[in-house]
Amino acid sequence: MPDPGLPDRTFTLIMRGLIERGSAPHYAELARALGLSVAEGRQALLDVMQAYPIGWLHPDTDYIASFPPLNSLPTQYRISVRGEQRWFAQCGFEATSATWLFPGATVHVEAPCLDCGEPIVVEMRDGRLVTVDPPGIVGHLNWGFGPSRGRPPYL
Amino acid sequence: MNLFRSEEHARRWPQFNPASEAQRGFIPLPDLAAFFGTESRRHMLDADYLSTWYPKRGAERRAVLERLGRGDIPFWMGTPSPA
Repeated sequence: MPDPGLPDRTFTLIMRGLIERGSAPHYAELARALGLSVAEGRQALLDVMQAYPIGWLHPDTDYIASFPPLNSLPTQYRISVRGEQRWFAQCGFEATSATWLFPGATVHVEAPCLDCGEPIVVEMRDGRLVTVDPPGIVGHLNWGFGPSRGRPPYL
Repeated sequence: MNLFRSEEHARRWPQFNPASEAQRGFIPLPDLAAFFGTESRRHMLDADYLSTWYPKRGAERRAVLERLGRGDIPFWMGTPSPA
């Protein structure tokens, strides 16, 4: 009999695993934590990724590459909390959402500008922008969301 | 979906898509933080996020885009580009 609470529990394990370690858990680890067989753990992962399509597995694998706002696969958007750089944001836009995963903490996002390589620094605390350096930082949507993006994996 | 030091820096990026100009591809950082800081985002650590909060995300995003004057722009609304 299907367990209606399983997707939520799986999602929470993945998100909290990413927050704790900076990388996403493997489905075998999910299985153990959920009290499932390894095969059932893999299916639980696939079900969550289907229900949360803004994240994705690395092509041709069962490895979580992206689980926004964080990425298990490194990106240029490095996130530090309390002086420790352990996380990566899925993209520059999702970087502004990582603040909600670390309540009460200052979330430091640092990335090289794709034009010049000079640093971009954004700090947020509980959703508020506290540092923007340089002050003129902008977001840019190069390809549209959804079907208008054209190349789905491309950010 | 990147951050740049300024619009000029983005336009110099070799992979810059010129069509993004007409689609108002640039967004000020405070607007971006609002777009990615809707109510559902504040519940990503809740035990029922996937079943209760994630489904609200689409409507919230549309509401923010409408407020930001981007409600009729295909790039932002996730609809096929007319180009």
